Amino acid sequence: MSVMGKTADNAPTGAREYLTFRLDQEEYGIDILKVQEIRGYEPPTRIANAPEFIKGVVNLRGTIVPIVDMRLKFNCAQADYNSFTVVIILNLRNRVVGIVVDSVSDVMELTPESIRVAPDIESAIDNSCILGLGSVGERMLILLDIEKLMSSVDMGLVTTAE
Amino acid sequence: MAESYQEGSGAGGADFDLSQFYQIFFEEAGENLDQMEQMLLDLDLSAANDEELNGIFRCAHSIKGGAATFGFSDVAELTHQMESLLDRLRRHELQPIPPMVDVLLESADASRSLLARHQAGGQGEAVSTTSLVKRISELAAGVVPDGAPAAAPAPAPAPVAVAPAPAIKAHVPGQLRKLQIHIGPLEKTEQADTIKELFRDIPGLGSISDLPSVQAGVRVFAVETTSSTDDLLDLFAFHVSKEQVRFSDGDEEPAAAAEVDPDHAVHEIEPPSGGADVSYGFFSDAPGAPSAVPAAGAAAKPSASKAVAAAEPKAAAQAQMESTTIRVAVNKVDQLINLVGELVITQAMLAQNSRGLDAGAYQQLLAGLADLDRNTRDLQESVMSIRMIPMSIVFSRFPRMLRDLANKLGKKVELVTLGEATELDKGLVEKITDPLTHLVRNSCDHGIEMPAERLAKGKPELGTITLSASHQGGSIVIEVRDDGRGLSREKILRKAQERGLDVSDQMSDADVWQLIFAPGFSTADEVTDVSGRGVGMDVVKRNIAALNGSVEVDSAEGYGMKVSVRLPLTLAIMDGMSVGVGEEVYILPLSSVVESFQVNSDDVSTVAQGSQLVKVRDEYMPVIALEKIFQVPRFDLNKSSNIMVVVEADGSRVALLVDELLGQHQVVVKNLETNYRKVPNVSGATILGDGTVALILDTGGLVRRARH
Repeated sequence: MSVMGKTADNAPTGAREYLTFRLDQEEYGIDILKVQEIRGYEPPTRIANAPEFIKGVVNLRGTIVPIVDMRLKFNCAQADYNSFTVVIILNLRNRVVGIVVDSVSDVMELTPESIRVAPDIESAIDNSCILGLGSVGERMLILLDIEKLMSSVDMGLVTTAE
Repeated sequence: MAESYQEGSGAGGADFDLSQFYQIFFEEAGENLDQMEQMLLDLDLSAANDEELNGIFRCAHSIKGGAATFGFSDVAELTHQMESLLDRLRRHELQPIPPMVDVLLESADASRSLLARHQAGGQGEAVSTTSLVKRISELAAGVVPDGAPAAAPAPAPAPVAVAPAPAIKAHVPGQLRKLQIHIGPLEKTEQADTIKELFRDIPGLGSISDLPSVQAGVRVFAVETTSSTDDLLDLFAFHVSKEQVRFSDGDEEPAAAAEVDPDHAVHEIEPPSGGADVSYGFFSDAPGAPSAVPAAGAAAKPSASKAVAAAEPKAAAQAQMESTTIRVAVNKVDQLINLVGELVITQAMLAQNSRGLDAGAYQQLLAGLADLDRNTRDLQESVMSIRMIPMSIVFSRFPRMLRDLANKLGKKVELVTLGEATELDKGLVEKITDPLTHLVRNSCDHGIEMPAERLAKGKPELGTITLSASHQGGSIVIEVRDDGRGLSREKILRKAQERGLDVSDQMSDADVWQLIFAPGFSTADEVTDVSGRGVGMDVVKRNIAALNGSVEVDSAEGYGMKVSVRLPLTLAIMDGMSVGVGEEVYILPLSSVVESFQVNSDDVSTVAQGSQLVKVRDEYMPVIALEKIFQVPRFDLNKSSNIMVVVEADGSRVALLVDELLGQHQVVVKNLETNYRKVPNVSGATILGDGTVALILDTGGLVRRARH
């Protein structure tokens, strides 16, 4: 579903809210409706033979939740775990997944007019997972289709034909 | 097996009490009746579709199965008739017409009142189903009633066992005879008590009860048996001489004997009447040497009335039990379990943080925390126990059912149950019972051969049906195995072709076996009231698929078949053994742990390709270093794995190399696949006391890995 179509349904102004977070120097935005909660980082239980960016699983009130470090996935230069490291718990199609980011900035409202189509660029993620680029004043937000990104095969979160 | 059950139920069900399952059956039957009624009402007669008819049929079938299991033969008989009619409709042999719907609805009502009566412990007026049964069979035979159908089944005040009794008799194979046996003259009348013990100890011999004797030193018994007079004489010869035994026909029973219907004593399992019979026999047995009629008669009368009085409180207790149970939505229980899990973790955290406090200064706080610790644990245990029940609850339904079934079919079957302690979620247990019932009935009816046929094939006369439950990997596996005739590949393929299914001779065995799950598929040559209509396996597959489980069939013609039902562990508690490897903790299912020991490097030998073997008491087994398999990072290089834990799965053993043994505790198995994916060698995850997650090892997977 395209972000434009959704916007038209939801609010007459066409505006949508995005949660923005930082990875290294870049700022990203994801649909706030996909976010379940935001927590501090706690060391997860490592899972053998998993990709490096899957840190393991944690216990979230009785549910076993996998934790993905977006900084490793996006090849950031640094991935420290300190008291400021934040985990965003996402609820995607009845699956609960946590992503580790450097920090959460704020919640922003973006109108369709302020979203540009992302140019085709080489990056660590598939271009189809980028909804567009949002500009707020001087800042540029990379808007992610987080659901698509998390369920893609190379994330290794979902069992595909083995 | 046979006689011991009767004794058990007679003596108040000390060792085997079916009544604990009555409630479940009544609830299920009620739901099925409601569903059937709804579907009947919604049925479009001009264009009834197969799915609807199959649905109605399945409801009737389920009620019948349950009723037969519990011995409510009146309900079973009525639903069997309904099923016959529905079966013909389902096969399009008859066109549905309004009178059929009417009679089926009335039958549903009648079943409901019959069930209500059984639920009340046989209290209240009996419902006659004779006219209904007749109308159904007429309709099933294709007779269209002219004019108004017969009047609705007026609740006739029939005596308690009139309806069921003929039905039972009709099913008993062989010649069941009623005899009177006169034993004497004896020096001591107690001598004849050994005869009664005979009947109790020998399964299948029949039933015996005392009759008043008219002659001093002579004991008279009313006997019901299928054995011949000669056989009986041979048996008795060990205790009394042949000359002392005289047989006479049971029909000339004296009036006193009529009070105790022997038929009753054997088959009736309703508490009041069953209780009355047994206490009659028991009481009149006690006075030692009652020789004259008046004495025996006088003894019998008060005891009978006493028994009735005793039965009343029993029924009252049953009614009270109904009101003390409530049905709660499963998700509410789940929520409760999750909340308690949270509480336990919070409690563990508090306990950890308070450890450094000065015991003198914070005495009250620490006492409070100790209380909290205990209360939390108790609470957790009680909450968990709501959902978990052992498989024995399900398995113990079967001996009785199988015994009746085997008797009915004239087969000899022994039931073996394994893994009864395996705990299973209540939700799963409720849903697995019906499919298992079908499977066991199928095994007995189609699988096990008649005794003569078995002997001719060189098999033991006694057929064996094995029910087993076990945890395997991330699943619970329940197997129903018999050593009967197995599945015939040719027969199944032929039937499938007749039914127009897409089959070929090149299909693999596994694919052929899967055909038996097609709706309406049956290889039975004749339809019995047990099975053969081809509805069972269809239901089994559906119910199990609904639980995200799978059914596998394995068979060798002539040697038997095995049906494995594999269910996911949604919520199961397991006894686990936690082991440390490096800084990490893994859980081993305690049931698969055989032993553990400290190992010296000399005991381990390396063979080609680097695999290691360890010698344990003359047995070499493969070594699996968990550190390697799970790529455990090692920070403290001074520590190393030197403890072996021997685990067994699928009949073979491997030794796991770990750093340390941390302890044993119950763990709640959580599914890793809910939010993540399947991880090799891991069957699930659990949450430890400190809130962290530990992975549960799939010992089956590890063993397979080492062996191949």
